[in-house]
Amino acid sequence: MSGAPETEPQGEACITCGDRALPLRVIGPGAEPGLARCADPQGREEEVEVGLLGPVAAGERLLVHAGAAIARLEGER
Amino acid sequence: MRYVEEFRDAELGRALAARILSLAEPGRRRKLMEVCGGHTHVIYRYAIDELLPDEVEMVHGPGCPVCVIPMGRVDDGIAIAAREEVVLACFGDMMRVPGSERSLQEAKAAGADVRVVYSPLDALRIARAEPEREVVFFAIGFETTAPSTALTLKRARAEGLGNFSCFCNHVLIEPPLRALLSAPELEIDGFVGPGHVATIVGARAFDFVAAEYGRPLVVSGFEPLDVLQSVEMVMRQLAEGRCEVENQYGRVVPSEGNPAALAALAEVFEPRETFEWRGLGEIERSALQLTEAYAELDAERRFELPGARVADPVECQCGEVLKGAIKPWECRVFGTACTPERAIGTCMVSPEGACAAYYNYGRLSREEQPA
Repeated sequence: MSGAPETEPQGEACITCGDRALPLRVIGPGAEPGLARCADPQGREEEVEVGLLGPVAAGERLLVHAGAAIARLEGER
Repeated sequence: MRYVEEFRDAELGRALAARILSLAEPGRRRKLMEVCGGHTHVIYRYAIDELLPDEVEMVHGPGCPVCVIPMGRVDDGIAIAAREEVVLACFGDMMRVPGSERSLQEAKAAGADVRVVYSPLDALRIARAEPEREVVFFAIGFETTAPSTALTLKRARAEGLGNFSCFCNHVLIEPPLRALLSAPELEIDGFVGPGHVATIVGARAFDFVAAEYGRPLVVSGFEPLDVLQSVEMVMRQLAEGRCEVENQYGRVVPSEGNPAALAALAEVFEPRETFEWRGLGEIERSALQLTEAYAELDAERRFELPGARVADPVECQCGEVLKGAIKPWECRVFGTACTPERAIGTCMVSPEGACAAYYNYGRLSREEQPA
């Protein structure tokens, strides 16, 4: 359940268990339906499940937990 | 300024600490429980405990999913991994959790095919890439993590992937909270509530804490100022004689939760009759299992498991730490026989565990603590 501070490198909190969530930015659609390509603040890319949020647009920031986006970070920039 | 820095501003932190002090009743110690291991980690990492007045004591709750896994379930995971045809995929933090005889890491060293993944989807990808292997995902986590597992199981079912299954250890937050709140020896005045679980279940899911047990709860974010502000909000409720559920993390947490995630959970999982929690014992309907419709993806039906209940090592006091009855440094093996490098108890394994948070941020020995 930890919030991953975005200015820190990964690995200081519970990186896998996942109760850590990461703020990632949408770059574009993923290789399969329901997935989107996202990047972390360091530019590392990964494909993320976005089925819980409905359509996402490039540039949006998402809170990602265990490979799935669980919330939009609308108020955060 | 980066947005995140506003949540770490030292001046604002000191101002919040002063407000908390002004809300404290001199000489009356309030015990507040942070339910979530992520908050425990933030509190020690940023030394929030040292900013708080003596009248506020933070007690650490059972919200670290690694810490609450009982040894018997680790043994079951190792039994699955020991099968010739199996790849057991798990989150990294599970690797060092001790079973009755060994951990998954030690099982891997002995030849079992155990692989660390970052998401259930990664486990599914292994199953696709290696159709000749049986890939089993060792699922752990609260309602925050379970939707990701649910989506992956839906994918696996839609694809008809025959070599993928899930060893489900997902747990629910409400039953252990009720168990804690019902315990006569527990003296908790209020709660800092788990923000990420609340993104799924909604802030309102915690209404029972105030309505049925008469304790205020503030759903909190994970930056240092989020936690301080949440403590201030709980202290303000106590000072004003209010008892409500408030949402400090409103920028992320909706009051009703995430409906798509709740629907996915309801489709794929159902509550187990009972589940053993490390330190808390058996709690009814406190964990999830796959529904009948997903039976063929259920590793517990696919493989024979020992299913034994294994008592915690006698020297380990994780149970009392998880209930907030003792501080980590009060455990008889803290920092001596039990360290993050070689943990006896689960609370020392995960960085979100209370013992590891104390140990990693310099609360090393009981001698250094005030009496």
